[in-house]
Amino acid sequence: MALLEVKNLDVRFAVRGGDLTALRGISFSLDKGERLGLVGESGAGKSVAAFSILNLIAQPGYIAGGQILFEGKDLAAMSERELRKIRGNRIAMIFQDPMMTLNPVLTIGTQMVEAILAHRNISKKEARAIALDRLQKVQIPSPEKRLDQYPHELSGGMRQRVIIAIALLLDPEIIIADEPTTALDVTIQAEIMDLLLNLCEQENVALMLITHDLGVVSQVTQRMLVMYSGRIIEQGPTREIINDAQHPYTQGLINALPQMGEPGARLFQIPGSMPSLKNVPSGCPFHPRCNFATEQCKQAMPEYVRSGNVAVACYEVANLIEQEKRMQEAES
Amino acid sequence: MTSPLVSIRALEKRFDLSGSLLEQITFEGGRFRRKQEAVHAINGVDLEVQKGEALCVVGESGCGKSTVARTVMGLLSPSAGEIHYGGQRIDNLDGKAALLYRRKMQMIFQNPYASLNPRMTIQQTLEEPIRFHHPDWSPTQVRDKIHEVMHSVGIDPDWGSRFGHEFSGGQRQRIAIARALAVDPEFIVADEPISALDVSIQAQVLNLLMDAQESRGLTYLFITHDLAVVEHFGTRVAVMYLGRVCELADTKNLFATPRHPYTQALLSAIPKLEDDRPNHIRLKGEVPTPVNLPSGCVFHGRCPYANERCRQEVPQLIVTDGGTQVACHAVEERRL
Repeated sequence: MALLEVKNLDVRFAVRGGDLTALRGISFSLDKGERLGLVGESGAGKSVAAFSILNLIAQPGYIAGGQILFEGKDLAAMSERELRKIRGNRIAMIFQDPMMTLNPVLTIGTQMVEAILAHRNISKKEARAIALDRLQKVQIPSPEKRLDQYPHELSGGMRQRVIIAIALLLDPEIIIADEPTTALDVTIQAEIMDLLLNLCEQENVALMLITHDLGVVSQVTQRMLVMYSGRIIEQGPTREIINDAQHPYTQGLINALPQMGEPGARLFQIPGSMPSLKNVPSGCPFHPRCNFATEQCKQAMPEYVRSGNVAVACYEVANLIEQEKRMQEAES
Repeated sequence: MTSPLVSIRALEKRFDLSGSLLEQITFEGGRFRRKQEAVHAINGVDLEVQKGEALCVVGESGCGKSTVARTVMGLLSPSAGEIHYGGQRIDNLDGKAALLYRRKMQMIFQNPYASLNPRMTIQQTLEEPIRFHHPDWSPTQVRDKIHEVMHSVGIDPDWGSRFGHEFSGGQRQRIAIARALAVDPEFIVADEPISALDVSIQAQVLNLLMDAQESRGLTYLFITHDLAVVEHFGTRVAVMYLGRVCELADTKNLFATPRHPYTQALLSAIPKLEDDRPNHIRLKGEVPTPVNLPSGCVFHGRCPYANERCRQEVPQLIVTDGGTQVACHAVEERRL
């Protein structure tokens, strides 16, 4: 059984003029110690997907359907009290902006001890020892000193290390990291990603990494989901998708990267931009931007088809696979 | 070689942190003392931008790359050094005399959500610079020009009566580009023009900038932290660290054979699609604050090759065999 299994998750936002569907039929699973990447552009719903796992979506958002099974128990149906035992304890989160997550008026030590005492019945002294141990694990120079410092005394990279240390405090099963390095410089980003990856491997923690950076996904994760307009359009092993993307959107996303283009030549570009939730196109939401779109694409959302180990929601890919099958049959 | 379009000479820029005279005075050990502090944003930068090229300036936050852009544009005045445009010194010109250069030099900013006036329609936004620089143009001429630039950036000219908030980020950046192109500039300073945009939109805007360069013969000073973009877009690259240029090279050379240890680390830190694991050169520590600059080479605290000379003496840019200019003692001494 998978550690976390999300089945047919629907998330909506109740706003004036009716509900907006932010997530539609999201299904995926995460095994123990596995690293999963969630990729997409702004507005694709990747952060909503991450937040809804711990039911952290604020009003007017709500989970409209589906299940989030963590060790067999449905988080979507849990009471707030039960959920609090899981949040930060079994499933930890790392957010994009470390300055927003750390309380500016409390020392690092106070914040860390507070988090431990919320879940464990131990003395403050023991809690402080755990905090110190985690700060050492994230390789912060002079960790004893840091415990008594305030967040503003640390640099951006250092703060994100503290956040990772806090996420590790209670030996979680899963860490959900929402764009953890987007606010940082490239060299610092590389160090933080390296650290996160090593820690997840050492402690056998599953990682759900939300990012828009395909390079990072390729370096860190084993499997990936590509999201577009609230749906998963492609999912499978990271290497397979990066090397041979099936969905036209994923292909476009990869080919649009400057590192894929000939230096000085025009870049591949996907026309248009991601639709807003207020007017999601009918059928496959990508069809207005897709070069392969047919009448069929405008009618209904395509089902997932398998291509190797990758699941893709695209009629064009389905047709290609169908053709290949027929050709093979004809040959034999 | 022909004379450069823009040349930046021994540029320095400090931002005073200490406030007024009264705020500077502190009482220490029974005596009054005057304490002055400044952020040393740029510490002696020499750059030349040749006509028709795209010179990229890269570096991490706080390295002074945006300050260079703003100083060149005259949005900030240099603490020392000179800016020349087409052979004429422009950093000391007053309003009237500077006007001509303001038309020839235009700027594109990072955040298209902040750089468009929310209370102006697109028509008004584009009209303003044209009317300002060409007061003698007839309304028809102005309208034709607006149509032309809107068309060239891929924004439907019929949308002129809309406001900035009605557009997406990518479209806004197109409008900001149209505004820069409206007065037929020769030289465009683009400060992180695609950093706030999504990947698929980045490609669109980058293509647009390259098309404009080709069709209008533009020269760019392109500021960015994204090295992958530089490899694609730049003719030459200047890598900055703590207010100094540490390497200046043709794009191809820089990516094929980076010489400066900082450039090497920076290049290795780009997450590449073919990587299965992060494999970057690990640097010690973090970027020091530009308030108290390190002595000698500004990079010595993090450099694996630093020796006593690096701690004492500031390295100057030297030309290497490949034509790359590097400011590094280790490269000069052939230790690297």
